[in-house]
Amino acid sequence: MSVRTSPVAAAAPAMPARSALFGASALGRWLVTLLLTVLAVATLYPLFFTLLTSLKSRSDFAQNPLGFTADLTLDNYVAAFERMNVPRLLLNSVVTTAGGLLISTVAALFLAYAVTKLRIRGGNLIFLFIIAMLVIPSQVIIYPLYETILTFGMGGTYQGLIFTYAAFGLPLGTYLLAAYFRAVPDDLIEAARLDGAGELRILFSIMLPVSLPAIAAISILNFVWMWNDLLLPLVIMGGSDNKTLMVGVSLLSGQYDVSIPLVSAGLVIALAPVVLVYFVFQRQILSGAIAGAVR
Amino acid sequence: MVAASPAAAPPRVRKTSRKRPLMRRELLIGILFVLPGLALAILFKLVPLIRGFVLSLYETRGFEDPTFAGLANYRRMIADPAVADSFRNALVAFATLPVWIVLPLVLAFLIFQRSPGWTIFRAAFFLPYMIAPIVVGIMFRQILAPEGPLNALLTAVGLAPLAIEWLNGPTSALLSLTAVALWSFFGLGVLTYLSGLATLSEEVLEAARLDGAGFWRMLVSIVIPLLKPVIGYWTVLCTSGILIWMFPLIYALTRGGPGSATVLPEYLVFTTTFQFLDRGTGAAIGMALFVFVALVSALVVKRMYAEGKAKAR
Amino acid sequence: MTMIETTGRLRGLLRGLSLACAGLALAATLQGAVAEEVTTIRVLNWEPGGTKYWTELVAAFEKANPDVKVELETVPFDRYPEVQGPYITTKSGPDVMENNAGLELFDRRVAYEPLPADVLDEAKAQLITYSGGCLGFDTTKTCYGLPFGYQGNVMYYNKAVLKEAGLDPANPPKTWDEMDAACAKVKAIGKTCLALGLSGIFPAYWDFPEIARNYLTEEDMRAMLSGGLPWTDPKMVNVLKGLASITEKGWANASAPSITMLPDGADIFQSGNAAFAGTIISDAVNWSAFGAALGDENVGAMRWPTLVADAPLAQSFSGIESSVFGVTSWSSKKEAAFKFVKFMASTENATLLSTVAGGISLNKNVDPASLPKSEALSQILEIIKKPTLHSGVLLSGQEADALARGWQEVALGRLTVDDWTARMQAALEASPSKR
Repeated sequence: MSVRTSPVAAAAPAMPARSALFGASALGRWLVTLLLTVLAVATLYPLFFTLLTSLKSRSDFAQNPLGFTADLTLDNYVAAFERMNVPRLLLNSVVTTAGGLLISTVAALFLAYAVTKLRIRGGNLIFLFIIAMLVIPSQVIIYPLYETILTFGMGGTYQGLIFTYAAFGLPLGTYLLAAYFRAVPDDLIEAARLDGAGELRILFSIMLPVSLPAIAAISILNFVWMWNDLLLPLVIMGGSDNKTLMVGVSLLSGQYDVSIPLVSAGLVIALAPVVLVYFVFQRQILSGAIAGAVR
Repeated sequence: MVAASPAAAPPRVRKTSRKRPLMRRELLIGILFVLPGLALAILFKLVPLIRGFVLSLYETRGFEDPTFAGLANYRRMIADPAVADSFRNALVAFATLPVWIVLPLVLAFLIFQRSPGWTIFRAAFFLPYMIAPIVVGIMFRQILAPEGPLNALLTAVGLAPLAIEWLNGPTSALLSLTAVALWSFFGLGVLTYLSGLATLSEEVLEAARLDGAGFWRMLVSIVIPLLKPVIGYWTVLCTSGILIWMFPLIYALTRGGPGSATVLPEYLVFTTTFQFLDRGTGAAIGMALFVFVALVSALVVKRMYAEGKAKAR
Repeated sequence: MTMIETTGRLRGLLRGLSLACAGLALAATLQGAVAEEVTTIRVLNWEPGGTKYWTELVAAFEKANPDVKVELETVPFDRYPEVQGPYITTKSGPDVMENNAGLELFDRRVAYEPLPADVLDEAKAQLITYSGGCLGFDTTKTCYGLPFGYQGNVMYYNKAVLKEAGLDPANPPKTWDEMDAACAKVKAIGKTCLALGLSGIFPAYWDFPEIARNYLTEEDMRAMLSGGLPWTDPKMVNVLKGLASITEKGWANASAPSITMLPDGADIFQSGNAAFAGTIISDAVNWSAFGAALGDENVGAMRWPTLVADAPLAQSFSGIESSVFGVTSWSSKKEAAFKFVKFMASTENATLLSTVAGGISLNKNVDPASLPKSEALSQILEIIKKPTLHSGVLLSGQEADALARGWQEVALGRLTVDDWTARMQAALEASPSKR
C-alpha cells in the first residue's frame, strides 16, 4: 500500500491502452472478447426482454412470451400512466431514496473515519457492531421495526422511511469506506494535524477525495436497492399517498389479474431514472480525474 | 504474570500521558463522529432485533395476545425438519461463494485492462442488478422451462444430455436459483472491483508489465493482494446476498419449490410469520438465521479484515 | 447507560419533530371539519376488481354519503399480509379492512368489530349469502364483514383444441375416465391437456376443493375448519390420491411442479396450447379474459369431471365470497366506516361490479340484463346455482403450503401419497388456528 503515499502524484492518464497485456496471442484475445460478449448478451437480454414485453399486448405475450411479435403497442404505457400517479410516486421515490442515501453516506463517512483514524476506545467494537447489523434478515425485524417507527410517530411519513433506509444502508457503506480509509497512511493525517488541520477538514479534504470511488460504488448499490425495495416502503408507508414508485408498479398487478406486459411497462418507467443515475455515476467512478486524485 | 505486568505497563503509561490532551479532544470528536451512525443502527436495527428476540420467547396464535413460552419456539424449531432442510439448502448455496468472488474480479480486471469493447461490457454487466426480481422470476421460469429456449439451445448445439428440467430437480432447482442470483449480482461486483482498481497505482502495474507478467500473474500477485480490503468487503456483501437477500428472487422464481428444494431460512421466516401466522416461531427461526449469518460473516471478516488491516499498516 | 440516554434524547427530538407535523396536520383537518363536518375513513384494500372499479365505487359512495370521505390505502395482494399484520399487532391504521372470507378472516377477528344489527339487516335484504364473513360460516354466530362479489372454481375448455383432437366440443368430459380418454387424444396432437401450475396457493384454492367435493360432505368440511377431521381419514386420503392422479396420468404440462398457475399456467391455456384449465369465475383468468384471448366462441366452462359421480356434492359448485370488508376494532370512526361496509353490499355497488369489473355479484337485486353476453358466462351462471362450501378457504396457511409442496414432489415421483398424508397431518397439527 506504500504506493499510494503521495496524494499529489502525476496526473498520468488513468488507463492507458493495455491491450498488449494479453500478449501476442490474438486467439486468446478473441476468446476473451467472445466470452465477454456472451456474458454481455446474457446481461442485456433481460432489459431487452422487459422492454419488448412492455410493448406487447397481453394475448401476444401469452402466445409468444420470448420472441418477437409483429404488432407492438404503447397501450401498456398509456394504461400504466393512467393507473399510477407517476409524478407523485416519482417524487416520493426521489425524496426517500435521496434522503436515505445522503444520510447513510454521511453517517458512514464520519463513522468510518472515527473507527479508523481517531484513536477512540472500542472503535473496533463499534465497527464490528455496525457490520453485525448488516446480517439481520429484514423479514425478522419487520414487526418490531414497524412498532419502533410507530413509537417515534413516523408511520406513513417520509422521515420514517428515510431513517430506515439510512440505517439499512449504513453497514456496507461503513465497511467499504473504512477499507479505503485504512489505506491512507496515518503519517499523512498526523502531518495534517501538525499543520493545524481540524478533523473535519482532514475528513473532507484528504479522506473524502480518496474515497470518491468507494462513495460512488456505495451510492449505486444503495440507490438501486432503495429504489427497488418493496418490503420497507410497504410496511412503513402502507398504501398511503407517500408510497414509492416501485410499490405503485407492484400495484399494477391485481389479486388474480397479472398482466406481465403492463407490469413490464411500469418497470421500464421505474427503471428509467435508475439507468440515468447509473450512467452518470459509472463515468464518475472510472474517470481519470478521480483516479488521478487518488494517487 | 506478576513479573510480566510491571514490564508491560510503563511504556503504555508514558504513551498515554504524552498524548493526553490530544486524546481527550479526539475522544470528544470521536463520540460526535460515531453518534449519528450509531444512533441509526441502534434505533432502527438493534432495537427491532431485541424486540424480535423477545417475541421469539412468546407463543403466538394468529393475532391473539401472545403468551410467554420460554424456549418453546426454539424447541419447536429444532424439532422441525423443514428448518434443518432450509439451513442445509443455505449451506449448499453458500458453497458457491468462491464463484461469486472470483468471477467479477476476473471480469473487472479484464475491463480495467481495456479488453476490446470494454466500455460496452462495463455498462452492460451492471444492468441485471437493476432489474426488479418480479421480472427476473417470470423471465427465468420461461427460459428454464423443460421445453424452454435454454434447453432448445443446448439441444441445438449437441449438448442434449445437459438439457435437464432445471427447475424440477431438487439440486438443479437450488443451483438454478443461485445462478440466477449470481447473474443479478455479479455486475455489482464488477463495479465494486473497478472502483478499487481505480485506486491502484499505475507504476506498480507498469513495473510488473515490464517484468513480463501475464494477465493471471498480475491478477494473482499484484491485484489480489492490493485489493484485499475491497475483496473482503465484496465477500461480506455476497455472504449476506446469498444468505439473507435472496427472498425477492425465491418469491418471484420458485416460491421455495419444488417441494422445499429452494426454501432458504429467510423464506421460511416469511412463510412462518406471514402465511402461518406464527410470529413467535418465525422470530425464533430468524434469530437462528441471524446468529448463523453473523458467525459465517465473522469468519469471513476475521480473515479479510485482519489481513486488510495488516497490509494497510 | 449513555446509549439509553442518547436513545431517549433522540426519541424526544423525533417526537418534537412529529408533534410539529401532527400540529400542522391537525390544523388542516380542523379547517376542513369546520367547513363541512366531513369524516375521512381509511380503507385498506387490494383493489379486487381493478382500479377503474374502485375509482367509481368511491365516487358513488361519496356521492351517496356526502359526510364521509374515503381515503384508499391500496396494497398489492401479494404483500397484503406484510402490511396488514403490523397494523393488527399495533392496533393502528385503517378504519376499514379487507380479507378473504373464511379462515383468513376468522384468524384476524380480533382486529374486527362485530357487525351491528342494522348492517346485518342490510346484508339479509341485499345478499344471496354472507356466511363467509361469519364465524364457522354460520350467520347465527358473530359476523365481522360483508362480501360483495362471488368467486369459485370451474374448468374452462378450448373448443378449438377439442375439435382438433377429434373430441366433441359440445360434450366435454364429465367423469375422470372420460377426462383420461380425452387427454390421450389431446396429447396425441402434441398439446397439453390440463394447464397446471403447482406453486403458491393455487393448488389449495383452485384444485383441492374440486376433488374434495367427491369425497366430503358439508359436515366434513365444517369439521375440517375446526381441525376435527384428520388427514389420515380415508376420505381425506382419497382427496390427495385424486389430486395425485392428475399428474400421475400425465394430463398436465411437464413444468407444472415448478411454475405457478398465475400467470404461467393460465398463459399456457390462454396461448391455445392446452385443452383445459381449472381456474375461477371472477376477477381474472375467467371467461372474460380467456374469451378476449381465444375468442368467446372458443371458450367453454364446465364443472370439474367427477371421480365419484353419485357423491352428494359432486354436482355442486364450490362457491365463496371473493372477499369481505369489515370495520377495525380500533377505529375511532366506526359509524362512518360501517356506512362504507353497508355500501359494499348495496345494489348500486353490485351493478358497478358487474358492469365495470365484469365480476359476478352476490346481490339479489342486480339486474341480470346488466351482465355481458357470453356462452361461457351463461354456463357458469347455470353451474353456480347449486352452491356448497369452498373447502380451499378452510385450509390453514400451513395446510395450503404443505398441499402445494407435497403435490409438487408427488408429481416428480419423489414422495408417496402416504408420506404426503403424514405431512398434511403434521401441518394441521402445527396450525395455530386449528390447534
